[in-house]
Amino acid sequence: MAIGVSALSLTSIYTQISATESKTHIRKRVRPPIFISTNPSHVNPCDLRALFTSSNFSCHRFPNLDPDGRVEPIDIDKLHIALSHSCVVVSVFCKPQFSTGDGPKDEMTSSKSRFAPGELFERAIPVTESNGQLVGFGRAVSDCGLTASIYDVVVIPSLQGVGIGRMIVQRIIRMLTSRGIFDIAALCSAKQRLFFKACGFGDDILGSTSMMYTRTASSRNGDQMVKRAGRLLLLAPSSREPFSSSLEDGSH
Amino acid sequence: MLTNAVVAPPSLCSGHNSQLSNQLLFPYKLNYGLEGARRKQKVSPLKAGFWDSIRSGFLKNNATQVIEPPSTLPEEEEPLPQEIVLVERTQPDGTLEQVIFSSGGDVDVYDLQALCDKVGWPRRPLSKVAAALKNSYMVATLHSIRKSPEREGNDQKELIGMARATSDHAFNATIWDVLVDPGYQGQGLGKALVEQLIRALLQRDIGNITLFADSQVVDFYRNLGFEPDPEGIKGMFWYPRY
Repeated sequence: MAIGVSALSLTSIYTQISATESKTHIRKRVRPPIFISTNPSHVNPCDLRALFTSSNFSCHRFPNLDPDGRVEPIDIDKLHIALSHSCVVVSVFCKPQFSTGDGPKDEMTSSKSRFAPGELFERAIPVTESNGQLVGFGRAVSDCGLTASIYDVVVIPSLQGVGIGRMIVQRIIRMLTSRGIFDIAALCSAKQRLFFKACGFGDDILGSTSMMYTRTASSRNGDQMVKRAGRLLLLAPSSREPFSSSLEDGSH
Repeated sequence: MLTNAVVAPPSLCSGHNSQLSNQLLFPYKLNYGLEGARRKQKVSPLKAGFWDSIRSGFLKNNATQVIEPPSTLPEEEEPLPQEIVLVERTQPDGTLEQVIFSSGGDVDVYDLQALCDKVGWPRRPLSKVAAALKNSYMVATLHSIRKSPEREGNDQKELIGMARATSDHAFNATIWDVLVDPGYQGQGLGKALVEQLIRALLQRDIGNITLFADSQVVDFYRNLGFEPDPEGIKGMFWYPRY
């Protein structure tokens, strides 16, 4: 941890030096005041769904995309169930004025507004889950013994890039390791890989291959179970016959 | 589909005192409390046919099970514990051997440790293993039951395979710890384990089914419908940096 902190201060010193040298203002993005919670009851499924939709995030790995490339909103009941079965739920809240707009305010803009009377009063009231807007989220599912998987780490686009996502992942890891779970996996798309790498994740040292069930039904077969998962129509293996002769061919 | 013929003969459940049909239908009672209160006895309307057929086979035992009415929240149903006889063969000496698949999660952690030793897996703390089994969404097991004519009522029951899945019960599931006793490999038993897990997960609309396969079993899972790194989705693991 100590190494991480001094690396950060080195970076900021470098930023300042290069700013004075080039006589341009390097606008370092600052994180607005946030409230991070690990209490699952602080998450309202409707707000969470709104966060996912505005971040164009889907819980389905292969989501249905509309012509504009937007995901469809997630089923609220399923979201509620998923939350209730997640052993770690982390949520990040922020005062609404910070989460709207083009992006995190940079140093210059933030310092200008510092002395406006209204702003001072506003800043005096700390942000909580009741007066803040849900801007970040992450959860983990675990067997509370050996393994855990991190899912759905999302930060609202206007506040990305200021370390909120990393805070969420670090909090999840801290919660898991405090319960003795060190085997923590995260399934990430190509875009998310850099993010998780920066959070301390890497390829499996044992060289395992991550695989997902993607067997789809090409045509509707009357007696086979098919289930929709996003844009995939997954084909379930047929129900096992008792004492089936099909086992005697010994192939798999 | 399950029929009356599926049900294993009474001597399957020797060694335990509770009523036969209770045991067979609700195997969670054998779990040394591993499953705890999480497992509820539920009957869904779709499964009525199965339970009716079982009941009719055991009415003479005067078994009165308490069957709860179907749940009003279908998504809260636990996967129905079921036992299926996958293989049945008679040895030359008259011993009948059955391989029983069960999704009730009846696993003795010591038996599991012995099985892990057989396949060459490293040992893990038993308390953690027990907790992991208890909190898994589903634990599927294969047991071998050997019935001998001489040893009336004393069957040999051995754990020969297991697979488990963790899930958030809605979107995601990960399959862990798939293993089959080396002496029973190559018969399609591992395939049966994984297929039943997938089927149970999909039945609950859990669509993101993931697993992390060692290099030598990637083809095994490919044949079962798994794809490595689909659309660039890859699993990463946490490595603490000091």
